[in-house]
Amino acid sequence: MERAGIGQSHPRDGARVRFSALRWSAYAAAMLVVAAWAFILLDGDSGFGDLFRQRTWQNAGQFVASLAGADSDGPSPFVQAARWRETGQLALNTLAMSVLAMGIAGVGALILLMPGARNVSDGTLGGAPSRTGRVVYAAVRVFYALTRAIPELVWAMLIVFFLSPGIIPGALALGIHNLGIVGRLTSEVVENLDPAPARALRAAGASSPKVLLYGVFPQALPLFLTFLMYRWEVVIRTTVVVGFLNAGGLGREFRLRMSWFHYDDVGLLLVWYLLLVIAVDVLSAQLRRRVRWD
Amino acid sequence: MSLRRLQNWLTGPRLLTLGIVFALAWSLSRVDWQQPIGHTGGGGAALQVLLALFPPELSQEFLRICVVASWHTLAYAIAGMSIAVALGLPLGVLASGVLASSPDGSETRRRTLMASVRFLLAAMRSVHELVWVLLFVAAVGLSPMAAILAMAIPYAGILGRIYAEQLQDVPAEPVAALRTTGASSAHILLYGYIPMALPDLLSYTFYRLECGIRAAAIMSFVGIDGIGFQIELSLADLLFRQVWTLLIFLVALVVAVDWWSSRVRRSMAY
Repeated sequence: MERAGIGQSHPRDGARVRFSALRWSAYAAAMLVVAAWAFILLDGDSGFGDLFRQRTWQNAGQFVASLAGADSDGPSPFVQAARWRETGQLALNTLAMSVLAMGIAGVGALILLMPGARNVSDGTLGGAPSRTGRVVYAAVRVFYALTRAIPELVWAMLIVFFLSPGIIPGALALGIHNLGIVGRLTSEVVENLDPAPARALRAAGASSPKVLLYGVFPQALPLFLTFLMYRWEVVIRTTVVVGFLNAGGLGREFRLRMSWFHYDDVGLLLVWYLLLVIAVDVLSAQLRRRVRWD
Repeated sequence: MSLRRLQNWLTGPRLLTLGIVFALAWSLSRVDWQQPIGHTGGGGAALQVLLALFPPELSQEFLRICVVASWHTLAYAIAGMSIAVALGLPLGVLASGVLASSPDGSETRRRTLMASVRFLLAAMRSVHELVWVLLFVAAVGLSPMAAILAMAIPYAGILGRIYAEQLQDVPAEPVAALRTTGASSAHILLYGYIPMALPDLLSYTFYRLECGIRAAAIMSFVGIDGIGFQIELSLADLLFRQVWTLLIFLVALVVAVDWWSSRVRRSMAY
């Protein structure tokens, strides 16, 4: 222990310490991979053998065919305009849920933007360092870590206990989880920004809101919006999953149709899902290119 | 104010802000405000859930269930990630176009290959892992392998895209120097691109492992053992103290992997 301590205090040994941490990580990762696969393959029925059976692939082929409407009784939902309209409404609800979720995450991150940044609490950005500031900073960071660590779906499982089904519970579950991600990233942007404008404003006697408005926002907002757009791409994919839990939109219908074995309807819902994902990806890429704050 | 001035005023950030406000207003308009937002007695239920944290379920047999479920989750996450890396790295190399960038190679062929691999990667990651697993279960039945593969597909899609970007960001000069010595494409990849991009490749892979833990936890929602499955069971029995214990295990697992991954990333940054 003592030798390691001495070694770390020498700058020349820094590289060796780093290297041993990496080597240790590589060994640990390799061992974990071997242990995980050994456990999965040896522990009873892993389903690994099924991958090499013809029957499995026949079933998969049949399933894909029924998604495409091969064994629908009556006309396939793909040729019924009414079915397209009904499921289109569900797709709009799913889109609304994702937008609302980003709204919750975005507003939350903006409110916690300053208290969650270390350089605000310790006074680097101008202003006096305060004990309260440090305590609030720690609390915000723990809150972010917790909301981030718990997946959207688990949040949704908890939230449907209190809120009636609809767009709101799903948006709330997605919003809370993404607040942890977007909030942390945005606070890190504030920590890394150039403190000179904020300090100059403070020295000139500007009030705190003015420092925020003219010293922090112009630098931090473009990246903040970029993060929101990136997360929106992830959220639109996850909205359907949250919807499984009676939260409405495409997801709920997807799960119901799945359990009724209406695979042709599932296929139609998948088409809407893919359309939404593609639309949001394209829109997000366009908007991200446009976020230039000048 | 003339239309021209309005047009000039309404550019970039202002237009974006307006768009965001409209999008939020529209999404709120789709909410059904007629029915109550909360359940009757929802507040009481929330309080009950919160109070169950003091203390969470800590009996020995339940802790054993938690440890086994955590190990299942970790094992599935690592198995899924290893397939995702094995698929994502070659696809990422193909999508980056670095292999075929020798001057004698046909440019159109290279571009077609890059575009088609990129399309494949986009298709893989456009469907969420839990949707993949539901489709797999319906197609071939419930097994750990179905969940592992379902997770590996979108993760390989994301890894491949990011790997491709990271390989393209490798500085051109050392690669050109290697090429002038007459090195083959494979050699340029192995001794030029991969070693130079390695810190970025590894950092991102470790970051994804952290996401993989969460994904594996919720994968068990379909009925294979894991933290998500146990949470669902406890919630169904309204045993909130057990739910808290499981959540603590999940958070601990994610934080541990997060710590490991930031440790690795820090030791990579020279």
